Amino acid sequence: MHEEQFNAMRQSIVDGAPEHASELASKALELGIAPLEAINKGFVPGLTHIGEQFRLGEVFLPDLVMAGEAMKAAVAVLEPEMQKRGTQREILGKVVLGTVKGDIHEIGKTLVSTLLSASGFQVFDLGVDVPVERFAEKAREVQADIVGVSALLTTTMQGQKSVVEALDRHGLRPKVKVIVGGAPVTRDWAEKIGADGYGQDAMAAVAIARSLLHK
Amino acid sequence: MNSVWARLTQEQCRQLHNASLEILERTGVRLFNDEALALVREAGAKVTDGNRVRFPARLVDQALSTAPKSVTLHDRMGRPVMPLEGANTFFGPGSDCLNIIDHRTGERRRPVLQDVVEATRVCDALKEMSFVMSMFLPADVPQDIADRYQFQAMLHNTIKPIVFVTYETAGCVDAIAMAEAVAGGADALRERPFVACYINVTTGLLHNADALEKLLFLAGAGLPALYIPVVSGGTTGPVTMAGGLALSNAGVLVGLVISQLKREGAPVVIPGFGGDALDLRTMVDPYCGPDPRGMAQALAHFYQLPMFSLGGASESKLVDQQASIEAALDMLINALCGGHIMHDCGYLESGLTGSLTQLAICNEVVSWIRHACQPVEISAETLALDVIDQVGPDGQFLKLPHTRRHMRERWYPILFDRDNYNGWLAKGGGRTLAERAAEQVSQILASHQCEPLGPAVAEAVRRIVLRAEAQLGREPLAPASGGSYA
Ligand code: B12
Repeated sequence: MHEEQFNAMRQSIVDGAPEHASELASKALELGIAPLEAINKGFVPGLTHIGEQFRLGEVFLPDLVMAGEAMKAAVAVLEPEMQKRGTQREILGKVVLGTVKGDIHEIGKTLVSTLLSASGFQVFDLGVDVPVERFAEKAREVQADIVGVSALLTTTMQGQKSVVEALDRHGLRPKVKVIVGGAPVTRDWAEKIGADGYGQDAMAAVAIARSLLHK
Repeated sequence: MNSVWARLTQEQCRQLHNASLEILERTGVRLFNDEALALVREAGAKVTDGNRVRFPARLVDQALSTAPKSVTLHDRMGRPVMPLEGANTFFGPGSDCLNIIDHRTGERRRPVLQDVVEATRVCDALKEMSFVMSMFLPADVPQDIADRYQFQAMLHNTIKPIVFVTYETAGCVDAIAMAEAVAGGADALRERPFVACYINVTTGLLHNADALEKLLFLAGAGLPALYIPVVSGGTTGPVTMAGGLALSNAGVLVGLVISQLKREGAPVVIPGFGGDALDLRTMVDPYCGPDPRGMAQALAHFYQLPMFSLGGASESKLVDQQASIEAALDMLINALCGGHIMHDCGYLESGLTGSLTQLAICNEVVSWIRHACQPVEISAETLALDVIDQVGPDGQFLKLPHTRRHMRERWYPILFDRDNYNGWLAKGGGRTLAERAAEQVSQILASHQCEPLGPAVAEAVRRIVLRAEAQLGREPLAPASGGSYA
């Protein structure tokens, strides 16, 4: 049933074509395909495929990012129908992310932000040179599940520790998890400062964020 | 070097220049420093939204007409050793590696201050390393003022010019104070600068507070600043080389304008690299991809300005075949393109790891390149027609004075092996290039010592480090004593 339709959906994700993906999502609803089935049989296999291809070096980062965007576009179309039926779409969680005070390295942080968002997290990107307190305030404001702190300098790494402490002070932990990363950061450092997770790259950041939320 | 190989035509350089001008007039940049904003506003740039600045082309023309076409770095003894102009090329290491591959053990570990000391001594000894940077970031000193300890260690262990990096402006001010103590005052340092500050700028369109502060401080003091906006294609700029370079070059022109407004004739060194892109498969920032090589150098030559270029880095994690090949190709192409200050010899793993073994290999490669690119002398003496006639068809040249007179002009390797098979086994025990290079490093460390700083100067330098410690309200660490560098 609907094999051709599912293939087209899969392909729209692989192509990284948000408009096409949302058209196909509408079409699926017209054809009476259940929204969850459309997601799981149509769109998700596309995302899985492109993820594998990226790991193999066959596709490039922007391909991966656009596949995530296409996924989001499709889900946005299917969402109202899912709500009507009482079926839940998987919401991965809210992440507050930034490069810590004194540090202007933004590229790695932005990649982490982009991939988290492409994977279905809601990301609040605070930018670079972010004061410690700002992480805590934002986490409280948006009821974040995860706070991600990037630091590319051995000096500003200390700020990651301060963010952990600030979240403690605000009584936001252990509910809010902290993940850290950046060139000088190691797993040992993450453990030492009491962070909940470390990721060597943006793919690892997504994996650790998922696992912390058991998603 | 004789002349430079131009990757871009003059016309292409003009196109890039015009593109940068259009970016500055149409898109504009953000400046995060009040003094810089005031300077450009007064000069006629349009400032909106607090710090968004659009520059008329005439400000750029003006700056290009007053920025010095040549800057000469001196050594610690005040001798002019690096005239940054024309086809002159000078190689040296990179800075601030977070890891070192120990040449003794092959272990990859966190570096300590002693590694900075050793790297500096090795650079001081290696003939083709023309300048020094702090190859490593020492983990055993207070991190927020590690730059002071690095600078002190370099002053003690080399007489070659120093290209330095500091986190904040205060670190730059301290470094200059130390350099003045060594040179014998501010005027002496300005007349014969033996240090130059490498300033990284967020992107061509975003000029961070520290970068502008340092630029203004150095320009005010008439000291050389390396003002280097970095664009990473695909993330902070277009993935195409032309777009990436036009964008970073817009930032370069901003730096020139601000420095010249601060002090006409202030020495600025512009980047001899640009147009690079992030590796969009691994998300690693590569240091030696082939694509944009030579473009930024061509542009710097078009402006006839001194440049800070790249050469000698590798993405490899080890001192292996890839490391040798990438470093060699990169140094060769960048030398052919006429980069002036060529940094990053000894860099591995995209600037995260450094190796003195790799540095020694780079030194060997540079000596090879120098010989390959040297101008050729054609004269009666080198044509040797009389000698040829004297020997004729039946003789040989081995015993001639002419041969002995000139034979040492040829390149002879120090590290590269040219023995026959048994000689290679007997003399070196059949070792690899990396093993021989590591031994060269050990030998240098066992024997080489540069001219020490005088005791009074060493003490003055030490006080500046201590002051930085005191400002943080901390007890000084042992390394602040000049003696530990002996
Ligand atoms: C590009 C770059 C810059 C650019 C940044 C441009 C920008 N707009 O972001 C510029 C030129 C401005 C710059 C400036 C400086 N830099 Co810098 N920079 C780099 C460089 C070459 C690459 C960084 C990068 O973008 N990599 C690519 C991205 C994708 O990788 P990434 O950042 O590591 O992020 C990945 C992972 O780490 C992880 N990750 C990152 N964040 C997070 C967060 C979380 C939560 C998780 C889970 C994962 C994660 O996922 C990311 C994607 O895979 C590194 C060397 C290196 N190889 O890392 C030096 C480096 C980090 N810089 C260094 C230095 C010294 C500086 C300066 C101090 C130099 C100066 N004085 O001018 C200034 C600092 C200014 C400041 N206050 O911050 C040193 C740091 C040494 C140290 N002390 O710790 C390095 C190591 C280079 C070196 N050997 O000298 N730099």
